[in-house]
Amino acid sequence: MNCDDARILLHGHLDGELDLVRDLEVERHIEECPRCASEFATLRAMRTRLKDEAFHFEAPQELKDKIRRALPAAPNRSVGYPSRRSGFVPRAARFAVPLAIGAMLTLFIVPRAFGPSGNDLVAREVVSSHVRSLMGSHLMDVASTDQHTVKPWFNGKLDFSPPVTDFKNDGFPLVGGRLDYINDRPVAALVYQHAKHVINVFMWPSDRDTTSVERIEPEQGYNVEQMTVAGMNCWIVSDLNQTELKTFAQMIRAHG
Amino acid sequence: MPDESTAVDFERTFTPHMDAAYNLARWLVRDDHDAQDVVQEAYLRALRFASGFRGGDPRAWILAIVRNTAFTFLKRNRGSNSPVEFDENVHRGELEDAGLEAEAVRGADGTMIRDALNELTEEFREVIVMRDIEGLSYKEIADAADVPIGTVMSRLARARGKLARSLKERIAKES
Repeated sequence: MNCDDARILLHGHLDGELDLVRDLEVERHIEECPRCASEFATLRAMRTRLKDEAFHFEAPQELKDKIRRALPAAPNRSVGYPSRRSGFVPRAARFAVPLAIGAMLTLFIVPRAFGPSGNDLVAREVVSSHVRSLMGSHLMDVASTDQHTVKPWFNGKLDFSPPVTDFKNDGFPLVGGRLDYINDRPVAALVYQHAKHVINVFMWPSDRDTTSVERIEPEQGYNVEQMTVAGMNCWIVSDLNQTELKTFAQMIRAHG
Repeated sequence: MPDESTAVDFERTFTPHMDAAYNLARWLVRDDHDAQDVVQEAYLRALRFASGFRGGDPRAWILAIVRNTAFTFLKRNRGSNSPVEFDENVHRGELEDAGLEAEAVRGADGTMIRDALNELTEEFREVIVMRDIEGLSYKEIADAADVPIGTVMSRLARARGKLARSLKERIAKES
């Protein structure tokens, strides 16, 4: 590869957008050519700087409100997806008070609505684990984009074999895996990436054999998807928006 | 008039991307108030055309509308400074390195980087904003900016080259 070609391909290399063969060619060229290596270092430094939050403008709240108000009125608008926690409580409250049996209802409803259910506890655990994985250096035990490397890596470390699929072609490349500990047991954590977002997928065998999907409320600002697929409990956590995370969950389900 | 189910889908599909929409608009028109107008207008247009959304990436779809709205705005209000015909070709020598060291980039003042980016023409600025600040893939940029995917990388190469040169000049002036 000559420098002229490399000058453009350096960018695809930096952005992880080249096919494997080209990518390796560029890498080899960088090793041999100090000028392109220095250019690449500069490009990488520029990109790192631009990733800083300071360069990302967030929409003012008043604008968001204005846009939401401009949308035609629709049922469940503010509630989003119905859920036990956000949907049930206000409805219960509305009826309980006029009926003057509030005290009685409270006994039954409050523990269900406010006391953390099993899923809520797991949701908290997976989110904490996700946050920990991003803060420390322990995002991955095995860093590989190859599902055939990641899957065998779990052998002997877990008493089950998690399904591992790379969704690179759909924009969700697999970047690695690690062991984690959730719900009082060792679990498989698969790490995926989408744009600049990291996605953690936690898996362990389920005692339910049905395929089910449950909506989990966002936890500490992170979106969480939960489902049972191919006999596995599957929890997906990311700061990725709900729509895209849902799309990703559907991909996993389709491959389960 | 869109019916209620359209409205629900629209809200769930597109309102999560309001930050991305505003970020792009803000970088393109370089003013908070104008950017808000552009985004609001873009969402109203999007709502009108929502039935034309056939799945795919909702963020790229809404950004395409934001971008068009912003360009229309610039042309109408400021007599757009972007060339009528944007030259897609990479010219000889254009991608020579700017002689900017990575170390200098790391030490550069944030304002300097912002100014250098703001100085680029909209076509170059938007591709850097979409890729480096918003984190879109080449495919998503191709969809949003309505260019072939092959064009995205060469445009990015040129844009980053110009940004590096501009940044280098600013750093040189400073010292």
